[in-house]
Order: sequence, then structure tokens, then C-alpha cells
Amino acid sequence: MTEVIVWSGWAGGLAVGLYAMFQLLVTGRPLGISSGYCILCGCFSRALFFRLVREKDGPVNWRFWFMLGLPLGGIVAAVTSPGGIVPSFSLGAFYDAVFPDALWLKGLVLIAGGFLMGVGARLAGGCTSGHTISGVAMLNPPSILASVGFFVGGTIMVQLLFHVFFG
Amino acid sequence: MIQLLYIFLGALFGFALSRAGATTYDYYAGLFLFRDFQLLQVIGTAVGVGVVGFALVRKFKPRSLLQRTPIQITPKPYKKTLIPGSLIFGLGWGLAGACPGTALVMLGEGKLGVVFTLIGLILGTYSYGIWETRKLLKVDVPEFENVSQDRDKERVPV
Repeated sequence: MTEVIVWSGWAGGLAVGLYAMFQLLVTGRPLGISSGYCILCGCFSRALFFRLVREKDGPVNWRFWFMLGLPLGGIVAAVTSPGGIVPSFSLGAFYDAVFPDALWLKGLVLIAGGFLMGVGARLAGGCTSGHTISGVAMLNPPSILASVGFFVGGTIMVQLLFHVFFG
Repeated sequence: MIQLLYIFLGALFGFALSRAGATTYDYYAGLFLFRDFQLLQVIGTAVGVGVVGFALVRKFKPRSLLQRTPIQITPKPYKKTLIPGSLIFGLGWGLAGACPGTALVMLGEGKLGVVFTLIGLILGTYSYGIWETRKLLKVDVPEFENVSQDRDKERVPV
């Protein structure tokens, strides 16, 4: 598996926080990701909801292009790390220890995880970028509440995985 | 050309997430098991920078480079489904060891498991969108009609 360089938490947080402010000052749009998945769905579905999300963004389909850039950032981060890109289905030491080895089973678990995030982000009106990094920084009470919910849900799931199901 | 700018911004954010450790599965497990506080430090510092940043933006109301109008800060509203939705999101976050943004960055890093996570994200978003579209078509069409009728009334000279 690719091992990327990781800065200290403070330095990494500074980079993420400064990036969010940079994006706001350049584009006037606060950081947010999960609505972009509505744009992706709009690429193959004509359902009204996806068209409304698209219309809200105005003439430039910025979320689509922004999402296209994210994997490029990952490629740059990996090739500038000592080991380079090492493609692998490994999920790291913790998750590999608790998830099934068979790829299709692991795949089903991850699809379920993605599905819950997809539905949950829409029900909550945002994800860890929009609600936590942007929303909490705005000191917006609904975003603070949503962020607490994200952490409670994550903690419940991982504690169950590591102590109950596979303890 | 504007598309290139957004691709560049996406790459910049992706790089920052990777260097912050947000694209490393083990840090998510560490976070939710309270064993490793890398991501808590990252989120705490990023939010701290943001609190100062948003306060400055509120005070000085700068214009954004692209839109030439003063930057509007529009906080996300509360809705009834926010609490259950955030809990559901959290369950998925813990299960997948990635979030909607980092999953795409991890794809670039060659962490191929996220292919499944991304399929799930699209399926989940799609299901919600179809469900929501049904609701919109059932509930909102009569409302739209009312709105247009009201508008017609306004146009009638008295």
C-alpha cells in the first residue's frame, strides 16, 4: 500500500485550514464536497433533485472540476513520498485485521460504508468538509451539531467493529 | 480556463488532506478508538484557522477574486433530518475509514478499496436524490401552481 508523508497534526491542520480560506477568498465559495456527488449522479440521471443542485451552483460546474482535481492531489502526494504509488486493496493494519480477507466481502462492507455516507450527508446537508471544516469554523450551531453526530456515529461503528464483532 | 483553476484547487486540497494524514485508514481507526489524535489535531487546527478566517471575512467583507462581489457567508440551515443523517454519516465514516473528499484523494494514491467506497457514495446519493425527487414532484408541483397563480393575480391591474 502507498505510504504517504504525513506532517504533524498541527501542520496538517494548518494546511487544510489555510486551503479552506484560500478557496473562499479566490472563489467566494466555502469548502464543501458531498454535494459534488449529486453533480456526479446528475451525469447519468435526469432526476429533478440533481438538476436543482446543479442549478444552485450557477453557470460554472465547479464541483465537477474540483472533484476531478482531488485524485490528482493524491497522485502528487504519493509520487512525492519515498515509496511512490503502490496500488493495493489493503485498508491498513487496523481495518485489515477486522474486515474479511475475501475481496468481494471487503468490497460489500466498503460499499455499505459509502452508501451510509452518501445518504447521511444528504440527510444532514453536508459532510466533514462542509459541516465540520467550514461550518464549525463559522460557529454555525447546526454544523456543530452535525459534527458531533458524525463523531458519535464513527465512534459507535469503530468501537463495535473492534470490540464487539471482532473483539 | 476557469475549469483548470478548479482542478488545481481540488489537487491542492487533496494534497493537503494527504499530508495531514486524512487519507491514511489507520488514523480513522485510531481516532475513533481514542488511540491516536492526529486527525483530531488536524480538524482542531483547521477549524481554529477557519474561526479566525471567517471572523476576518465578516469584519472586512473582502471581494472574492473571481466573483468581484463581497464574500457572502451562508451557514447551513438546521433541518429535521440533520441529527439522524449525521449519525448515519458517522457510521459510514467509521466503516469505510474515509470521507467523501478523502476517498477521491485515496483513489489517486492507489488505495483501491475506495473504488467500492465511491460506488457506495454514488449509490447512497443517488437513492436519496430519487427519493427526494419523488417527494418534490408530489408536494411541490401544486405549490408551484399556487405561486404562479398568485403571480398572475398580482399582474391583474386593480
